[in-house]
Amino acid sequence: MPAHLEIIGARKAFRTPEGGTMTALDGISLKLASAEFLTLLGPSGCGKTTLLRTISGFETLDDGDIVIDGVAVTQMPAHKRPVNTVFQRYALFNHMSVARNVGYALEIAGKSKREITARVGEMLELVGLSGMGKRSVSQLSGGQQQRVALARALAGKPKLLLLDEPLSALDKNLRQKMQQELKSIQRELGIGFVFVTHDQEEALTMSDRIAVLAHGRIQQIDAPSVLYQRPANLFTADFLGESNLLPVTLDGMSAHLADGQSFEVARPSGKATLLLRPEALAVTPPAGPSLSFSGRITQTYYSGKDHQIALDTGQLGPLTALIRTGGTPPEIGATVTLHAPAHGLHLIDETAA
Amino acid sequence: MSLARRKFLQLLGLLGGPTLFLLVFFFGPLLIMVVYSFLTPGLYGGVDWIFSHLNYGRILGWADTRYEKFDPVFLSIFGRSLRLAALTVITSLLISYPAAFWISRMTPGRRDFAIFLVTLPFFVSLIVRLFAWVLILRPTGFLNQGLMGVGLTAQPIEFLYTDFAVILGMTYVFIPFMFLPLYGSIEKLDIAQIEASADLGATRFQTFRKVVLPATMPGIIGGAIITFIPALGNFIVPSVLGGAKVLMIGNLIEQQFLSARNWPFGSALAMLVMTAVLVLLVVQLRLARHGEH
Ligand SMILES: Nc1ncnc2c1ncn2[C@@H]1O[C@H](COP(=O)(O)OP(=O)(O)OP(=O)(O)O)[C@@H](O)[C@H]1O
Ligand SMILES: [Mg+2]
Repeated sequence: MPAHLEIIGARKAFRTPEGGTMTALDGISLKLASAEFLTLLGPSGCGKTTLLRTISGFETLDDGDIVIDGVAVTQMPAHKRPVNTVFQRYALFNHMSVARNVGYALEIAGKSKREITARVGEMLELVGLSGMGKRSVSQLSGGQQQRVALARALAGKPKLLLLDEPLSALDKNLRQKMQQELKSIQRELGIGFVFVTHDQEEALTMSDRIAVLAHGRIQQIDAPSVLYQRPANLFTADFLGESNLLPVTLDGMSAHLADGQSFEVARPSGKATLLLRPEALAVTPPAGPSLSFSGRITQTYYSGKDHQIALDTGQLGPLTALIRTGGTPPEIGATVTLHAPAHGLHLIDETAA
Repeated sequence: MSLARRKFLQLLGLLGGPTLFLLVFFFGPLLIMVVYSFLTPGLYGGVDWIFSHLNYGRILGWADTRYEKFDPVFLSIFGRSLRLAALTVITSLLISYPAAFWISRMTPGRRDFAIFLVTLPFFVSLIVRLFAWVLILRPTGFLNQGLMGVGLTAQPIEFLYTDFAVILGMTYVFIPFMFLPLYGSIEKLDIAQIEASADLGATRFQTFRKVVLPATMPGIIGGAIITFIPALGNFIVPSVLGGAKVLMIGNLIEQQFLSARNWPFGSALAMLVMTAVLVLLVVQLRLARHGEH
């Protein structure tokens, strides 16, 4: 499948007021298939907004290229690019009605009144605001404004939609509802979405692929399950979800933990890090070879389904585990032994940046 | 004492002072002017208490034919005043709008300093500032010497005592009145809205026309009105920079009260200005109410 959006070696540095430079994008390359939902995920200040703004044309690249459907748009001004944006704080035109906001792109394109009215009606229905066209945007709730912003960005039939933390201002319930709606709208329209968030749960549930960014670089770009189960480096492993990272030494046949336990793995000798997700640990030992960890419970959190416990194993340091205990909560100070199956374990190479 | 009565007295205590103040110092003089404009001038100044509509007749076309034929000069001076005040509003707007935009984008420290500079002329005597313009504009002034120096003109150009000089002077005096409300509405404008407009395909000009201009319209209208009103009645600028050639209605009123000592006629002229201002305010209210829907 030809790439719908392609970013090639994008670089961007800002001049700071103190006179230095701040590298916001440090050589970013990625490809987006058509109708793909890609999420940019990363800590604050890692360059997500900057990357989005270079795609929409509000920032110019110092180096690199942006290609949309085979056309290089790197030098094209924002108003000519076939992409639209849902802004973080919506940026609705508050002197216009809902309908005029939604129809703005068509009004600018010089479409006929009839065509605009029809399309606006269609868009309002898509986002569940039918009949609200005459309202002023200041009379809407935050969630409704969010929908207007979405309808406005979609009305002009962009090839690509950019969304900069569009849900961050909504409360949790509404956010989950909007996540599902956004996803189904994206499937229905079949256009590419580039979505920015720093909520990892949001990223994991919505995306076809996630690009994890840090310090202006892509750390890893993969499907959510791959990213979670097989992170390519320590940053991704640590950033995404809870993780226990244990150093191991490899001798070519097996890997050895610091406490002497080992498991078979075919890798060249050297050092590596073992990733153990908290949910991989269980109280009952699995069938087949396993690793086990004994320790004293130092902390417990109850999440509704599971107990998250912090375990002090002594030699291996602290571990976090998610365990399901039927009713009786684990007690702080008690000693437990937890087990993890010794196959399918994920190792991160020391050299992976 | 009943609650309602106590509430009433409390309200009276609160509002009584300001109301009395307004009655005595604002509506009082105004009422005197209205009454005087319908009286006959006294022989040596003051008024005779005889009803007359001829003060208005002299302005609007039914002069007392025993003494004079109707002279449209007053209406034409009034017309000129409206024109000069309107042109002052337009030039102030054309200067203030980009300036306000530019200043609103500055870093906070510079911004405060720039706004301070805009209001700085308030601290210098008006007369001093206007005579400085006389020195600049007169035939042997800096402007003409400069123009002749670079060879743009052989003869000095008449700048002083022209419409140009009066508009220039009034723009100079009233520009802060235009700038401040305009700045208020421009500063509130969300940059993200401008970006959103470009994102949806609008050129810079379309964005200006459809987003920036409507969003800042309250500032434009507010600034235009509070510039227009004092410009219309102003008599200091035209008397310094316009001389006898560019009289405005303010000069005329001043003359009637201070030199001609025809108070009723002066009052009638003043009522003309008042009426224009009232009409303007009513139109603005209508527009504002229309804008809400
Ligand atoms: N206009 C600018 N001038 C100077 N520096 C900037 C500018 N815009 C962004 N930066 C810097 O570039 C870096 C990346 O910023 P960016 O806004 O892309 O981060 P982000 O990933 O969107 O963060 P957040 O999650 O907090 O929104 C930051 O260090 C920021 O300070
Ligand atoms: Mg951001």
